[in-house]
Amino acid sequence: MMATTERQVRISKIAGRYLVFDIEDVVYIRRQHGICSVFTGTMPQNPTQNIFLGLPVELYAEEARLLVDKGAGYIADDPADHLSQLKTLDETARKAYIQSLKSQRRTAQQVFLEAKAQSHAKHLSKRKPSSGAKLGKERKAANNESIVEEGADGGADAAESLFGVTKPSPPPAAAVGTVVVTKDTTTIPAITPTTSSVLIAPTKRNVPPEDPASYPLYAYLNARGYFITPGLRFGGDYSVYPGDPFRFHAHYLANSYGWDEKTLMLDLLTSGRLGTAVKKSFLFGAQNNNKKTNIEAEDGISNGTKKKNNDDDVRIFCIEWAGM
Amino acid sequence: MSPPPSNPDNPGFDHLEALAHVVLNNLQNQHDWTETKVHTQPNLPRQILFGLPPKRLYVHPDEQIATIKAEKDRAERIPQFPEWEWVLPLHLSEKWSPADFAAVFDALDAIPPARDSLQDVQDVNGPDAAWKLWRGPKRGKRILLATVQDDSTVAYYWMHDGLVKPRQN
Repeated sequence: MMATTERQVRISKIAGRYLVFDIEDVVYIRRQHGICSVFTGTMPQNPTQNIFLGLPVELYAEEARLLVDKGAGYIADDPADHLSQLKTLDETARKAYIQSLKSQRRTAQQVFLEAKAQSHAKHLSKRKPSSGAKLGKERKAANNESIVEEGADGGADAAESLFGVTKPSPPPAAAVGTVVVTKDTTTIPAITPTTSSVLIAPTKRNVPPEDPASYPLYAYLNARGYFITPGLRFGGDYSVYPGDPFRFHAHYLANSYGWDEKTLMLDLLTSGRLGTAVKKSFLFGAQNNNKKTNIEAEDGISNGTKKKNNDDDVRIFCIEWAGM
Repeated sequence: MSPPPSNPDNPGFDHLEALAHVVLNNLQNQHDWTETKVHTQPNLPRQILFGLPPKRLYVHPDEQIATIKAEKDRAERIPQFPEWEWVLPLHLSEKWSPADFAAVFDALDAIPPARDSLQDVQDVNGPDAAWKLWRGPKRGKRILLATVQDDSTVAYYWMHDGLVKPRQN
């Protein structure tokens, strides 16, 4: 294992999917490790939403493995963790959790009030107050702005009832950060936290990462600064970007093959043609296993541990239409 | 010569020679290539071709940038002479693995062994010679996949060895 970095990204393995719920982690892996992945979360009110998705981010098995290999993250069995830890929680931990929820709610309230004050000030500066009738209208509009009205302490009740049941409900981690604002600003708003990290301490029972066949190609491209997103929309396994996809178009659509995997020429050519049609190059890569075992034999490595940053056994080919 | 890796059950040498012949014909008569030659080498799985297209077939995007810079400095166009290219004859129904392609690339030099193929490489020194390097030492390995269909249509695709960014077209 390589030297561990400071931040440990918690990758929650839920139903065979690798999910990241913490926005700080999402920013960290995007900036530091070139992993942008796919946002998959919808708003609770609109589960059929298919655009502007939010947390959690779903990682490929390759990406989860890469983070574990780099020592930047760990894979947690989230359902089991939550069940066991919620059952064994003692009184002080419960109080600490409720306290942390309250502080989060206060922060949410502050943020909301500031935003409200700002927009109010903007409105006032736009429309010069000329008559009393207009002012009254504005006041009405401001009242309508408060989104959902709720009983004074509904949020706190919900938080406490979380521990009241003997069988804990599904982990609250999956919920998206919705802010429910009460009309009366003296009570603090209820929130739905995006992570349960305060409640669930990092555990030792980490799930070992998978070893997908396309991992060598993924790691090779990632090590060279390429960003990778799912490639279905361009007809391959991956879309490969020379930098953050916010700034660049993809350069390649990529497939991973086995070193001795025979592929029909027709498939290679159609992919090449498709790539050229969307101004990309079709890339395919494979890991030369024979070479790898040779290198390991020479180095005297026999315990089966994977060597990192040793990807010179990956071979890449690019296909483009020749234009003739 | 060992049987082709793509079809070990059928060491049909005549079939591969015929394939090379179809492509040779197509290059010469449909695409006006000149000095097209059949190339055999003991470590190659089959006969391959090289030749000179009528106009430049491939310009690396970075070479394009270097050329435009040089043209700005000189205030004149730099003529784009055609380069010698490798051609690998294939049939559409063949199956190749990355190992097979790697063997072909490993057996070849970047520049085909033609009469004057190293002519451009002579004077690569000088202040504005960055663009010239792309025809010589900086040229990556590339090969034209000439894929023959049963109706003798030939489709041409570039294959590059390694990560080569796409052209801006």
